Amino acid sequence: MTAANTFDAIVVGSGMSGGWAAKELTEKGLKTLVLERGRNIRHVVDYTTALKDPWQLPHNNRATTADKAAQPIQSTLYLYDQSTKGMFVDDNKYGYEQAQPFNWYRGYHVGGRSLMWSRHVFRYSDIDFGANGREGIGIDWPIRYADIAPWYSHVERFIGASGDNPKLPQLPEQILQPPFEMNALEKHLRARMEKAFTDRKLICSSVAVLSREHNGRGPCQGRDQCARGCPYSAYFSSNGVTLPAAAATGNLTLQPDSVVHSLIYDEGKSRVTGVRVVDVNTLKTTEYFARVVFMCASTLNSTGILLNTRSARFPNGLGNDSGELGHNLMDHHNGGGATASFPGLKDRYYRGRRATSMYIPRFRNVTNREEKFLRGYGYEVYTSRGSWTRGVDSPEFGADFKNEITRPGGWNLYTEGYGETLPYHDNRIWLSHDKPDQWGIPRLNISMSYRANEHAMAQQMKDDAVEILQASGFENVQGFNRPVTPGSVIHEMGTARMGRDPKTSVLNSHNQIHAVPNVFVTDGSCMVSSPTQNPSLTYMALTARAVDHAVAQMKAGAI
Amino acid sequence: MTDRRAFLRGASVLLGSASLGQVMAAFAAGPRKPTFFSESDLELLRTLVDVILPATDSPAASAADTHYFIDLAIPACATPAAQKTFRAGLAAFGTGYAKLTPTEQVAKLKARADKDIELGYEQSFFKILKDYTLVGYFLSEIGATQALAYIRVPGGYQGDLPLAPNQKAWAI
Repeated sequence: MTAANTFDAIVVGSGMSGGWAAKELTEKGLKTLVLERGRNIRHVVDYTTALKDPWQLPHNNRATTADKAAQPIQSTLYLYDQSTKGMFVDDNKYGYEQAQPFNWYRGYHVGGRSLMWSRHVFRYSDIDFGANGREGIGIDWPIRYADIAPWYSHVERFIGASGDNPKLPQLPEQILQPPFEMNALEKHLRARMEKAFTDRKLICSSVAVLSREHNGRGPCQGRDQCARGCPYSAYFSSNGVTLPAAAATGNLTLQPDSVVHSLIYDEGKSRVTGVRVVDVNTLKTTEYFARVVFMCASTLNSTGILLNTRSARFPNGLGNDSGELGHNLMDHHNGGGATASFPGLKDRYYRGRRATSMYIPRFRNVTNREEKFLRGYGYEVYTSRGSWTRGVDSPEFGADFKNEITRPGGWNLYTEGYGETLPYHDNRIWLSHDKPDQWGIPRLNISMSYRANEHAMAQQMKDDAVEILQASGFENVQGFNRPVTPGSVIHEMGTARMGRDPKTSVLNSHNQIHAVPNVFVTDGSCMVSSPTQNPSLTYMALTARAVDHAVAQMKAGAI
Repeated sequence: MTDRRAFLRGASVLLGSASLGQVMAAFAAGPRKPTFFSESDLELLRTLVDVILPATDSPAASAADTHYFIDLAIPACATPAAQKTFRAGLAAFGTGYAKLTPTEQVAKLKARADKDIELGYEQSFFKILKDYTLVGYFLSEIGATQALAYIRVPGGYQGDLPLAPNQKAWAI
């Protein structure tokens, strides 16, 4: 153990959660090492495609067959093109086993998926935190809204978010800048739907995108090219917001290209003393030491590192007394929805590209109890007028065709539901010890499927979307209910759940491993259920809350 | 936190990056040569893209070098099956297409379109041609800024505006 390798705190991962752990720990005066397995991406200067026009990108921004061969999973994502491909991993280099098909979308670089996320930031309510206990599903959350509410506020004040506050019990009030404007069709839908259905509202989503300047960042310039990185710092990313704040304290050491192999567990002390790191390029292993370790490597990777940390005390993975480590994997599902066109409002248009969706908050299982399924879903709603792309599939061509498709076409709407998935014990990950990666770390094997509750919900998502649009004057309403490959919503969560009882959970109510209290897991691994709304805000709030607890415990000498 | 001016400076650094200069240099380098198709295929493509997107109140597809876009993008982006369909489709059009009257050119392409539109994408010469012609033209500088409306950095979002007279659709 050398001074150079010893810190007060180590954070594994630099994404959504790791950035927050770094900021909070360093601001509380702890010398903090942040380990990132991928390359560094410096804010602004490394966003090399951010301001490129389509014709400045290879093949007018179309991915090549070679790109798709190198990134067969990543390239299936809606965001993937020439301008963003560098933000996603090479699937062939970072392989994993799929006991059942699972789309694992990842960015291994400083900032992680905080650079490419969809930026939706809703709070969870006690409808969510109380659901498992109320319904006897899985285990109860060990916290309630009152426990996390101040931390939601803490995070919102710093990251800056915009949106409507719909004043609904299922969407607790947030600290928000004014929303982005609705277009003419969205205003129409809001008026007609809210008249036809008293339980349904259309709002501008809460998003970590600035509609006004905030702490010298933003506002949004209307490019809608967020996943390239934002030169205006108008959306929240670790790179642009939390890591610079951590660096400003002088307490941050950020080390890219460092894969964490496992944690170092001291049987005598019953504590973790540090981490084993493999240098991506030299394959050299180095040990780093700290009093406290924050696991923020993303849901599957944090749990993978814990599973790979085996000792006489924990033969099945660090802190795995319950046997739940690796289990209860969840993702949202978004198979149900509808498309439609709208015949009027031909004299209205918009200017700029809005980097948000409209949103219909959950209305199922809020006040009534549905017979067909537990939990609920919210809809993201996207509208636009037809562009030149409507000409691609048509048999037409020539001057009239060109004149037609270069003018704004009719209005179109696309909506899909985002539904909660119940925690199932056998939706899980484990290590393939016979299949190590190039750094000697066993690959993950992933097995997850959706079940009857999710399928019943998806059908209702479709039916409700159709009903809403038909009641609101739309034409060509086409409902869909598509099969979803787990992982596709990129909200993988669970596998190291929180709980009150060490016999049934991995983490306590402060994201602390029950039996190893100087290790905190604050990314999506900790989730006990998968509430309808997008999860990142909750990861950030739980992380800040856990740091506060960790530092208090360190000061008290408990860890 | 770095201040706002520093971020805007950052943006200007990116704007000044080499790409545009490289593109201009490529154009200035002299007559372009096909890389994948033959000279005669390229001439056929030049004619075809202009039959699909002729000069109107904006330049024709060939003025934006859409045929050269296809020459680069088909080998890079199309699957082997689509490439095969595309080559066979070009060969079937024959060498005399450019010499037909405009009416005959339209009729011949329409006959092909009527036949191909029922086929799956990878089996449909017309669908592949149409796809690459539209992407090549409308996302070119000429197509995006003259045939359509394009603003690299809109500066914000205005959701509900009256449609301006002769308003072009947004390119992206």
